[in-house]
Amino acid sequence: MSPVSRIFLLWRRQKGWMLLGAALFVAALAAGLALMGASGRYIALSLLGGGVLVPAVLQYIGAARVVLRYLERVFTHEATFRALAGLRIWLFTGLARSAAGGLGYRRAGDALARLVNDVDALDGLFLRIFLPLLGAVLLTPVLAVLLWRAQPWALVVLLPFGFVAFYLPVLAARAAGQNGVRAGLAMSGLRSAALDALSGLREVKIYAAEGRMLAAVQAREAAYLAAQRELAGQTSALNALAYFVAQAGLLLAMLIGLAGAPVFAVIVVFVLITVFETVLGLPRAGLLYGQARAAAARVVQAATSPPQVPEPATPAPMPAGNAIAFEHVSFRYADDLPFVFENLSLQLPAGSRTAILGPSGAGKSTIAALLLKLVAPLRGQIRLGTADLAALPSEAVRHRIAYLGQTTHLFADTIRNNLLLGDPVASEEKLWAALEAAQLAQTIMSLPEGLDTWLGEGGQNLSGGQGRRLALARTLLSEAPILLLDEPCAGLDADTETEFMKVLNTATQGRTVLLIAHRLTGAEQLDRIWRLTGGMLMAAAG
Amino acid sequence: MSAETKAWVRAEQKRGKAAARLPVLLGAGQVALGIGQAWCAAYLLAAVLHLAQRGLLVALYATGFIAFAALRAAAGMQAERLGFERGAAARRRLRNTVLSTILALGPVGLRGKHSGELAATAVDRVEAMEGLHARWIPATALAVIGPALVGLVVLWVDWRAGAVLLGAGLLVPFAMAVAGIGAGVAAKRQFIALTRLQTRFLDRIRGISTIVLAGRAADEANALAAAARELRQRTMRVLRVAFLSSTALDLAAAAALVIIVLRFAGPLRHDHALAPTALFVLLLVPEFFAPLRAFSAVYADRMAAEAVADAFCALPAPPAQVPAAEIRSVAANGLTLAFEDVSFTWDRARGPVLEHLSFRAASGEILLLTGASGAGKSTVMDLILGFIAPDSGRVTINSVDLPELVPAARTKMLAWIGQKPMIFAGTIEENIRFARPEAAGEEVAEAIRNAQLSELIDALPEGIKTPLGEGGFGLSGGQAQRIAIARAFLKDAPLLLLDEPTAHLDPAVEREVLESIKRLATGRTVIMATHSAIAVEFARNSGAKRLDLDSLRHARKREVLA
Repeated sequence: MSPVSRIFLLWRRQKGWMLLGAALFVAALAAGLALMGASGRYIALSLLGGGVLVPAVLQYIGAARVVLRYLERVFTHEATFRALAGLRIWLFTGLARSAAGGLGYRRAGDALARLVNDVDALDGLFLRIFLPLLGAVLLTPVLAVLLWRAQPWALVVLLPFGFVAFYLPVLAARAAGQNGVRAGLAMSGLRSAALDALSGLREVKIYAAEGRMLAAVQAREAAYLAAQRELAGQTSALNALAYFVAQAGLLLAMLIGLAGAPVFAVIVVFVLITVFETVLGLPRAGLLYGQARAAAARVVQAATSPPQVPEPATPAPMPAGNAIAFEHVSFRYADDLPFVFENLSLQLPAGSRTAILGPSGAGKSTIAALLLKLVAPLRGQIRLGTADLAALPSEAVRHRIAYLGQTTHLFADTIRNNLLLGDPVASEEKLWAALEAAQLAQTIMSLPEGLDTWLGEGGQNLSGGQGRRLALARTLLSEAPILLLDEPCAGLDADTETEFMKVLNTATQGRTVLLIAHRLTGAEQLDRIWRLTGGMLMAAAG
Repeated sequence: MSAETKAWVRAEQKRGKAAARLPVLLGAGQVALGIGQAWCAAYLLAAVLHLAQRGLLVALYATGFIAFAALRAAAGMQAERLGFERGAAARRRLRNTVLSTILALGPVGLRGKHSGELAATAVDRVEAMEGLHARWIPATALAVIGPALVGLVVLWVDWRAGAVLLGAGLLVPFAMAVAGIGAGVAAKRQFIALTRLQTRFLDRIRGISTIVLAGRAADEANALAAAARELRQRTMRVLRVAFLSSTALDLAAAAALVIIVLRFAGPLRHDHALAPTALFVLLLVPEFFAPLRAFSAVYADRMAAEAVADAFCALPAPPAQVPAAEIRSVAANGLTLAFEDVSFTWDRARGPVLEHLSFRAASGEILLLTGASGAGKSTVMDLILGFIAPDSGRVTINSVDLPELVPAARTKMLAWIGQKPMIFAGTIEENIRFARPEAAGEEVAEAIRNAQLSELIDALPEGIKTPLGEGGFGLSGGQAQRIAIARAFLKDAPLLLLDEPTAHLDPAVEREVLESIKRLATGRTVIMATHSAIAVEFARNSGAKRLDLDSLRHARKREVLA
């Protein structure tokens, strides 16, 4: 099934609204045709000295058309909003279920963000692509009958109609499809060049590279604009061609009308004016379709990719104990990649405090990923209490293990809502207790809006250390007996780091703690320290 | 929207209007050609009804009709392309302004701004300004010029019909305003709400792993659905009113048509020669309303621009140009850096960071800067780098005041290695050449050898051409730091600033990196700020002087108390 049909299939829940919108669209179109036909007839007759009174039917159709157009706008928009909301939730749920949860864990947040643009690109699918196309398809037989009745060889006017309504949109879709890839690549080039220049400001200033960086961004921008210019050129040519062919169709109808029944000929011309007005937007719809098709493919692929670790068919009940044991675990990310570790064994007794150290790339974070069921061991077993982790539902496991990682995200929301992610039903006192434990209560209390202070994107308004402590407070709120901390101090300076570790010591009393870090500050209280190198765990002296 | 933002949008519009003359002219040309087409079509339809002469004149008018259509299509195409070009030019200009401002301000001027947020302004928000320049500005002009042109022509051929049309035209903005007064204001607020929902969704997607790992995916999906539902209901409340303005257009067009038909119906019974005129006027009715429709269709472009305007206004002004001091540089062989009685305060509420600090690092010396976080180590670095200026006292290089040096000469004299070097998207070679793009190949090779990167590069299949950065080869912390060292070697500056160069390395790697730094330090004046015990010990062994900002401050306190 094509991705676009997949998305339409997804929208069947909004079927009622969409059918209503489509019905109103068709009714308004029919009223428009009837109005123009009737007007043409009335005008022709009055020019020939016929009826003088505006026929009542013309008034009714006119009024009906105005009302129908209004209702059509309201209901097609309602349907679109419902469909788009549904699509977003579907994408979110799909991403959460699939490997993307792990993807984000491996810092591909920006790739995910691009998907959001793709969803926005799909908002015209119903309103600007499907409905006009439906109109064109329904118009074809109506137009054919009308032309046939005028005179059989008037059917030749169907040629310009078909050219504008069906052929040009295909051309536009093809052009947009080819261009979309180029423009997309150029855009991500522009984005990363801008990000490079802006995140390396210090180096840029010190190495006097302002001009070079600006030039690099402008070169990418030029490439992006060139891709867009090409598409704009093609689109404008297609639009001009569509307009010209439509006008030629009208002229043809008028010339043919010279030989036919005068009044009927005028009716045909007036109806054709509306018909061409309706289909003139179709080349643009084709263009949108070319863009939407690629976007739909990415969205569908992202939302339906299978989870890295399949859920157990019949999940085992959650065990009582919280001891963790890695038993002869081997793992690699892909068949053609070397093993991260082979035959790794590790015991984490309930209530123990353990650190795993090692250089980046040694596989420390893979241990976290295995515990969180983002990936599964190739061989060996991981046990939680008495149960095999593979047999437990991942959501339940993640409720048991509170995770604080280097990419733990602070949401653009209030401090309260950021905390509630750890425990949605936490009371006010509990929130403050967690903040107290993370030594952040003083800071938050001094803010004018306290817990309801709005955090900017990525937790701006808080310093790096405060942000990490807020993430810690959130982690502490969850009553999970196991705490998994993966480089919780990444990006903090040494003093803040030491301070943070001291907080951690008191705040995590009584829980099982696994700390993953590239080195220790000396402030940590630990029962056991392991060093992970070359896929082997070795006891390290404190 | 603040007054400042409004003024900014107005200024953009004014700028855009000046550039939009040609496209507006083309748009007016299209209207004029449309009038010509209507004239030809009116004659042809009259001929169909046997109310006008057939024969040669029909051929003439048919040719005219198709010729006008061709010209109009061409003008439309040209107008679209010009619109794109103006949108592109505006984007280039805005992006250049944003980036130049940020680059001129440097890291200190932008404290507290996330680079991702800045990039969003430089990329996405600039993109959002396209519609204003490419479509909204010409459409506003044409919404007046188009109907006026058509109305005047109709007035000329038949003043009664012309009056009807112009009357309807004047009623349209009135009806649109009545329907849209509430809606216009609410629509703006709605647009902002919609943008917020999009931002919220984007934010939740970015942080999806945090949500999944907290086991809250289902809760968050419900919350997103509820937010979307609420927004839909509010949006539809606004749209139901806003669509009335389109309906007002429909109604005005229909009413004008009916009145004009009635106006001609009587006289036509006696005067058939009036038929082409009547048809001409009737065919111009849709032409009269088309620019108004086009105008309401691009309203969203204006709102998109207003929604992002705040971010542009929030950018700090670019720093004032340094007053043209006497151009000075210093001889680069041997460099002495001195602080003389320097004080600096970031934030008055928190008190001064540096108070009457004086020290001297002579040519070839290593000065070790220690002290807790907040003691002012980074402030000292920023002062030397020229990102900030002392509140009082002087920073001198070879006895010349820092601000008196030409910026280019000052940059040439120093190299800097921080906690985490910035690795740009590009090859290893490009990343090293960043320090001095014009360096010869042999010099780059030497820098690589000196930074002890040869082993790594030889092991890579693409060697020095291996791409780094997003999607490229992932360097470890120590390897990245070696790139920074290679940059410093390549730059070969007499003053070397090291700001916690080993803070993120584990001890074994730290020792290796320090060895390379030692070689780099030879023959240069070095200021090294550090916390690390290993680094302190290393510097001691290299004969460094030590300046402890903490004990300096305590001493000063004692002095004050005594």
